[in-house]
Amino acid sequence: MNAEDPTLSHIGRSIAEIRAELGVDPVSVEAIRDPAVYELEREKIFRRAWLKVATAWEIPEIGDYKVKEMPVADTSVLIVRGKDDKIRAFHNVCTHRGNKVVPNGDFESFGRSRAGVVTCRFHGWVFGTDGPLRSVPMEEGFGKIDKSCLGLREIACDTWEGFVFINFADPPEQSLLDYLGDFAKLFGGYPYAESTTIFRYSTVLECNWKVAHQAFSEGYHVPTIHAGSLPGFRGVEHSDFKLMGPHASSTIYGAGMDTAASTAAFAGVLHGAEPHRPRPDQLPPGINPTRRTDFQFELPNLFPNLIIHLSAGCGYPGMSFFTHQFWPLDHGRTLWEGINYFRPARNAAERVAQLHVNALHRNAWLEDTATMEDTFTGIRSGAIDQMYLMDQEFLIRHAVRVHDDFLAA
Amino acid sequence: MTDDKSLPSGFEQFADLAARWARPTEGERSQIRWAASKQDFADFYAAFMPKLDEALALLADQSLEGLSGPTANLFELVCAFAEATPHHELYGGSAEVPFSFSARRFVPAHRDRPSASPVLR
Repeated sequence: MNAEDPTLSHIGRSIAEIRAELGVDPVSVEAIRDPAVYELEREKIFRRAWLKVATAWEIPEIGDYKVKEMPVADTSVLIVRGKDDKIRAFHNVCTHRGNKVVPNGDFESFGRSRAGVVTCRFHGWVFGTDGPLRSVPMEEGFGKIDKSCLGLREIACDTWEGFVFINFADPPEQSLLDYLGDFAKLFGGYPYAESTTIFRYSTVLECNWKVAHQAFSEGYHVPTIHAGSLPGFRGVEHSDFKLMGPHASSTIYGAGMDTAASTAAFAGVLHGAEPHRPRPDQLPPGINPTRRTDFQFELPNLFPNLIIHLSAGCGYPGMSFFTHQFWPLDHGRTLWEGINYFRPARNAAERVAQLHVNALHRNAWLEDTATMEDTFTGIRSGAIDQMYLMDQEFLIRHAVRVHDDFLAA
Repeated sequence: MTDDKSLPSGFEQFADLAARWARPTEGERSQIRWAASKQDFADFYAAFMPKLDEALALLADQSLEGLSGPTANLFELVCAFAEATPHHELYGGSAEVPFSFSARRFVPAHRDRPSASPVLR
């Protein structure tokens, strides 16, 4: 499947090979239904796997930080660019008595420390943005205290292509690059960091995180769920199946849809602009290797909870890529985050054209998310014990298998 | 943004539409869109679609940072139009996306000011 890069030829699969490798039997829904499985997932998946928590361009300057609430690990995480320009992650926990060092009011927030320190508002303990405890008010009042042992508690953190990952294991079983494996080779090389204009949406869904994840992991639903926002969508094709250890991917090709008059006008602005036009030439060689003109985007599952749809402007006009992430809040509640990435608009027309494309995609996401709470209710009802998966749903079948392997380890 | 929704030369006839629809943030525009009727969408579309290309050409000469006055008002009006057209062209005039999740539960977490720096930090 990838003549240009023989080192990746082993990841390609035909449908027959997918069926032979993953089977065609129905898949149990018990892992979705059973709250006890969620407790295992917290320990055996979310405390072991590398998790994407930020992008480097969200915190571009020294002292920039992001705070991300992570109920799945019972913690709040501080991701910060230190004075040495290195991005680190810490538990956002004061080593004095456990207060949050940087308070926040949402699932994620941003700030900047100009002085290279963060200070706990409870009693004023001061920590460097590289972690060490710098000062303690009334230090003499403690009798005995070793500040060198009381720095912020660091979490393993590494970056791939500008995506910042953390791993709660101490130490992680694998490096980030080893964990990504062939995924890093397949997706590496695209200029992700150029697409710093983002539209991010989030919502809390009353469903298990895997229901949401699975709903976004296939294109089988497109002609039905998206009949409103993608009218006349013709010939959606899932192909170029790939298995890469715990990760998997496939390509969505399609002959397009009926383009409304306003969309044609807005798309024209983007398609005619050098930064925003379709750039199949920028796709890594293993993605759409024959450079088919009906390429829409690559749809991978990066285990456990990240999807990066790489489109290089070939799918939704002007859009470089978009991501989904699914964060369990508890067994039956999920924080979904969807982010559209564009290159910065150079003028007001490009910006408003991006707004139109973003609105179309946001509306499609509204159609997607309409199913998830109903699906979870249906699964909890006990009316079905299995789900039947077709070829285009192989990412779900694969993720279920990897999930079970992680829990069994 | 002030209450003055005056528009650039050549677009003066859309003053009423600007007063109704032009707002600087996605959140404010969504509130207006959610309250709109099928006729509202049809009227907006019929009036402004013939001028869309002309508006885009004018905005192509404007940097985001330098938007002010009538040009900023036109930008806000076209932003509202960009988000409203699917409701006329695709959704039969419905203010809701048919068969969808509640848009009110979808939280835009990007910086909610299209005329400000688009980079989220």
